[in-house]
Amino acid sequence: MTAAVRERGVPVALGLGTFVAFIVGVELLIRVGVINRFIVPMPTQILASFERVIVEEDILGRFRLTFFEAFTAGAMIAVVGTAIGILLYRITLLRQATETWVAALASAPTVLMYPLFLVIFGRSAWTIIMMGFVAGLPPVILKTIEGLSGTRAVLINVGRSLKLTSPQMFIKILFPSALPTIFVGLRLGLIFTLINVVGVEFLINFGGLGQLINDLAERYDLPGTYAAICFVILVSVVFFMITERVERWLRPVE
Amino acid sequence: MAEAGRIRAAAPPRPAVSPVTLLRISIILVVLVAWELLARSGWLYRDVVPSLLAIGTAVWKLLSNSEFYWHLGVTAGEVGTGLAIGGTSGLVAGLLLGANRMLSKSFEPYLYYLGPTPKIIFFPVMIMWFGVGPGSKVAMGAISCFFPIALSTAAGMRQIDKVLIRVGRSFRANAWQMTSKIYLPAMRHPIINGVRLGLGVAIIGTLLAETKLSNRGIGFLVIQAYSLFDMPRMYAMLIVLFCLAIGANALVGRLGGLHTIRRT
Amino acid sequence: MVTATSTVRAGEAPAARPVEPILVVDDVSKRFETPDGILVAVDHVSFDVAPGEFLAVIGPSGCGKSTLFNVIGGLIDSYEGRITVAGQKVAGPHPSIGMVFQEESTFPWRTVIENVAFPLEITGVAKAQRREQARHFINLVGLDGFENRYPAELSGGMRQRVSMARTLASVPKIMLMDEPFAALDEQTRLLLGDKVLQIQQDLKQTTLLITHNITEAVQLADRILVMTYRPGKLKRMVEIKLPRPRSSEIVSSEAFGRYVAQIWSDLREEASRGMLDDESHLRDAGGPKA
Repeated sequence: MTAAVRERGVPVALGLGTFVAFIVGVELLIRVGVINRFIVPMPTQILASFERVIVEEDILGRFRLTFFEAFTAGAMIAVVGTAIGILLYRITLLRQATETWVAALASAPTVLMYPLFLVIFGRSAWTIIMMGFVAGLPPVILKTIEGLSGTRAVLINVGRSLKLTSPQMFIKILFPSALPTIFVGLRLGLIFTLINVVGVEFLINFGGLGQLINDLAERYDLPGTYAAICFVILVSVVFFMITERVERWLRPVE
Repeated sequence: MAEAGRIRAAAPPRPAVSPVTLLRISIILVVLVAWELLARSGWLYRDVVPSLLAIGTAVWKLLSNSEFYWHLGVTAGEVGTGLAIGGTSGLVAGLLLGANRMLSKSFEPYLYYLGPTPKIIFFPVMIMWFGVGPGSKVAMGAISCFFPIALSTAAGMRQIDKVLIRVGRSFRANAWQMTSKIYLPAMRHPIINGVRLGLGVAIIGTLLAETKLSNRGIGFLVIQAYSLFDMPRMYAMLIVLFCLAIGANALVGRLGGLHTIRRT
Repeated sequence: MVTATSTVRAGEAPAARPVEPILVVDDVSKRFETPDGILVAVDHVSFDVAPGEFLAVIGPSGCGKSTLFNVIGGLIDSYEGRITVAGQKVAGPHPSIGMVFQEESTFPWRTVIENVAFPLEITGVAKAQRREQARHFINLVGLDGFENRYPAELSGGMRQRVSMARTLASVPKIMLMDEPFAALDEQTRLLLGDKVLQIQQDLKQTTLLITHNITEAVQLADRILVMTYRPGKLKRMVEIKLPRPRSSEIVSSEAFGRYVAQIWSDLREEASRGMLDDESHLRDAGGPKA
């Protein structure tokens, strides 16, 4: 085994190994009775219920619904976010006045407004989509501004020396140069959006995957609840990894 | 002197109020006026957009009601405890992961990829483990803030100037001395930032848990207002809540900043 | 037990009785495992250092002298050979050895006096006492008046003096310095060199200085060890018989120039090998070496 393979393989093995050992340990402790089996179901039970949950609970349909909500919200933050970002970039005074507000909004607990959105949009997909939209908007705006402001002066000078008009400057130089940073903001926004979409689905007991967890919990289907939680974690992790790959693909030289 | 080689131009007269402030005030005024018009028009069904007076009255009633402060205390206690538990364990985990490359490569990816998941989905499990009382809310706050604090501490550890560690070792500092006199002070920026982030998500996690299942706390009050369809009260609470959250964030930022004004 | 040339000072009357060396480096080697194979950084190096002596180790970049510094300082655990300090074997940082590092090493969050008092804090000296002692060493390096300033408020040269004062505060028998003036400009370097000499003469301290700067080595040292390019071996030992006490004015003397020329002729060969090695790596890898 070469040193390089060893260096890559050992940490993965250690991490995975510890995880598996932990699961086995929990299984044993439950069987022996140290851990109450009515509070923590046996891992083998959880694994068994995966199939049941996938088949009986229409996982695919729920996944599609959650995905639809996240996608809609994502499209909205992309369009509205970049538009506002461009606007704030163009109008300096407006940016100076409102940029700190947007930053404050990014760190504010906007998801707590969900009861309000429930009243306005009813117990429907739109509440969920709008909550996702509000959560994911600030990073897109801020990163759009950052990307445009960060255009290297020399590139702007190239455009000036070629006598580009203002719209041409924007389309051919400013925007392409800002694109990597905008994608970072988009990725951040999408992550917040997805978190809020699934979270609000759970909270208002409507929608796809989030609602499933709520449902199974209220039915006291313990293994099912755990299985559904694992499934949602899986979806979230995969989503995170995909967006990470896309971002890295777009910024190869950083 | 810098001015020696320059011709002093006359400074332009400074306006009494800066244009930025003016714009901010005008934006706020426009929003308030539009709001009031919407409220009076009756376009949306009743009370979804209450008049400013109704909201103002509700804020006043809220802040002068001692019961509100009791609930606030409950929530603050839950958030504080959750932050203490999640923060300390996150700090320790981050220190361990940051100090050892092998541990970091083995376990940090788990934290990194589990970080951006909606922690509220763990709430049913927390209820099973810790009951329907404050325990499950504290647990929600704790697991919410554990991840960002652990990750930013680990990253902070790796960014410490290596030579400072060698200085400590060359003077034969023991592990406790290394941690308290070198690692932690060298990491004060990332730690403060991690705690700010942790506070934010701990507040969110705890409050969401309170809205879902509780009979006390601010989250409970919000849901109560919803179920009673007392919209002015709900708006009032959201306003107060946001002000408190932003205030808490700014306070932590200030504490961190105060620390660094003289030092770096 | 020097492998290159004998340590007996030729031309001087033999000493009344042989002086027990305070630092003995005996057949020390250090190998590193890299993805490209085994790298020998230090190759069977042996030398002695007498008490109160100022020894400079000079070599081209990449010759392993920083590795040697870390091994003697006890920061690298696994090495071949023996290192003894006053008869005791070195395993981990030895209390009699004080290290001054090449990079910026002051703690930015502590004031000057808190920085200098650090080693005393570690060994548990009471606060009033350690501030008192720290003040003494701050004066020694010429920074009195700056006790309550933060490193960010000082210049690079002043910060290195703080690092030096901090190491001196631990009252080591041997000062081990790895290119402490590398980041400073020539004039500051010469003046600090004076300071170092003055301190060493006042405290009668043994000093081991690692450097790549020939002028610096000749200015400060009693003896100079010239190292080869990687794998680092001892190429030659040169006695510097310039008068003591010395100051930076010595750099303009003829004898000084001759010593520098002599060492450069040894060093040039090794430095060229280093450059050729770099170039061949660049050609092979198709890009700059990491």
